[in-house]
Amino acid sequence: MTKSLIIAQKEIKDFFRDTGDLAFALLLPILIFALMYGVFSASTQFNGTAYIVNEDDGGKYATELINNLENSEGITVKLLTAGDAAAKLDRSAIYLAMVIPSGFSDTLAGGKPAQLTFRQRGNGSTEGQIIASIVRGIADNISRNVKVMQNVKADLADWAIPAPQIELVVQDYLNQEKVSPLVAVTETAVGSSPDPVNLYLPGIITMFVLFGVNLTAQSLVDERRKGTLERLIASRLKISELFFGKFLAYVTRGFFQTFILLALSYAVFQMFTPLTFLEASLVALIFATTCATIGIFLGAVCRTTNQAIWIAVFVTMAIVMVSGTFFPIAEGSSLYTVSRFSVNTYANDAFRTIMTQGSSLADIGKEMIILLSVTVVGLIISRFIFRAVRGGK
Amino acid sequence: MAEPFLVAKDLQKYFRDLKAVDGVSFTIEKGEIFGLLGPNGAGKTTTIRILSTVIEPDGGEFTIGGFSTKNNTAQVRSLIGICPQELALYADLTAFDNLVFFGRMANLSSAEARQQAIANLALMGLAERAKKGRVEKFSGGMKRRVNLAIALMGHPQLLFLDEPTVGIDPQSRNNIYETIENLRDNGMTILYTTHYMEEADRLCKRVAIMDGGKIIAMDTPYALKSRIGDPEHTSLEEVFLKLTGRSLRD
Repeated sequence: MTKSLIIAQKEIKDFFRDTGDLAFALLLPILIFALMYGVFSASTQFNGTAYIVNEDDGGKYATELINNLENSEGITVKLLTAGDAAAKLDRSAIYLAMVIPSGFSDTLAGGKPAQLTFRQRGNGSTEGQIIASIVRGIADNISRNVKVMQNVKADLADWAIPAPQIELVVQDYLNQEKVSPLVAVTETAVGSSPDPVNLYLPGIITMFVLFGVNLTAQSLVDERRKGTLERLIASRLKISELFFGKFLAYVTRGFFQTFILLALSYAVFQMFTPLTFLEASLVALIFATTCATIGIFLGAVCRTTNQAIWIAVFVTMAIVMVSGTFFPIAEGSSLYTVSRFSVNTYANDAFRTIMTQGSSLADIGKEMIILLSVTVVGLIISRFIFRAVRGGK
Repeated sequence: MAEPFLVAKDLQKYFRDLKAVDGVSFTIEKGEIFGLLGPNGAGKTTTIRILSTVIEPDGGEFTIGGFSTKNNTAQVRSLIGICPQELALYADLTAFDNLVFFGRMANLSSAEARQQAIANLALMGLAERAKKGRVEKFSGGMKRRVNLAIALMGHPQLLFLDEPTVGIDPQSRNNIYETIENLRDNGMTILYTTHYMEEADRLCKRVAIMDGGKIIAMDTPYALKSRIGDPEHTSLEEVFLKLTGRSLRD
């Protein structure tokens, strides 16, 4: 135990001794936090571009549709030729284009169903889906108005009222309905607005801790590569003592950086009560132990520094990607099943439970047990597969 | 006859199909400098790794100071110091901090480690640079001397020196020679590997020449030279080349 503490002390001293490293380690959480603050403080209103191929150029209803789209908040309209649209879709420069076919207005004016076509790559992207939905709303309105106008004209056909007069009156009613609809939709804010900080901060914190996987793995591989490990073993150091020393050092380092992020979140966003701050810090500490263990495992498996770096990067990315760090995963989906194998899932869940629900540690017991179990089992497996030198113990 | 301090019997180590060490047996007397010579890939470093308890032999056995690794590895480790071929030290620490750290790993108390670090660095002519600057700023010769000074932490009785003078200036090399002779005069047993034959001739009481994992000759340098000619006018290098051949080794 004493030797492990000496190793941990040496590693931590190294960390604090190198002012460049230290500044970087301190600045990075602050920079990420500043970035996060900038991004999350910005307006969250939807902004998108509607790419339209208008083959009904000059048509009454095509023009109305485009004008209404242009007047929709946050939407910019860009007109493309069919060839441009196809080329852009082909190289994924855009994901969705709406085609207004030739004769669209005449078909609609003739009381027949007209067709709008969406050409899209895959699902058209989130932005494309939102724009398509807005287009559908506008097209429904136009369709309804045309239908009403035609029905009224048909009903009054025997009354010898001039058509322009009918159109004027009906249009006036339609405009009144538009200004004061019978079904009014109002938005009432309940509590504070959905807070993107609450949503994304857990992911940012867990990602930050995960970066330590790379450093831990490299540190262990470097000991072997430099020959210091061989020397340490011959000088009566047990591998388990080395592991525990490295483990303590990188848990401390990971926790230290995470703590800065949590403290800034507390101070700037007032996200915590004193109690939930302590609870979140404990989650950070436990997750730091899990990440240090993953790093030690990779250090035990990898033979070269490059191997350690690349495998650690891959593992970190995989863990983040499948855990729904920055997007929700639907329960029951296959990705949901996969996400259960990522430690990040449990850390994210634990942080979110504390940050958004203000829940206590009792509510995240399962997550904490899983993370601690991975730590213990991971350390044991690493010890069994670790070899100080080729052919060694 | 002096008592044997290290006794190796029929040591064997395989790496898949490669016999890295193939039936190596020798003894080293207490206070003797024993040279282990051989071309690259002869099995010298693997033999040292076995004897320094870093890897286990696939066959054979050895004792150091009467203790066997089969039942008393900790006791064996308390008797040995190792100076590997690589500069096995922490370049971002000072020389003093390196020695103190390895001293603590060798079960020394903090005070003992500091005391020995100062003494060993003085012995290697590094007292003035002990706490000044990280080792990464040192010259190659100074790093080699730190590497040796670390091996002396914990007052080992048997020292494994694996090519301790590779790539250094004549002054540093001379300092290392003097230190080794001084250690021998104070009763330390040393197993020494080198590619410099004049070094082995100067320092070693006996040498063993290894090739292909086996010891192909073992005697005093004088006796080995006598085998191929007039020992006064024959170099150990000539003996070495005669025994191991002139073909290049990887």
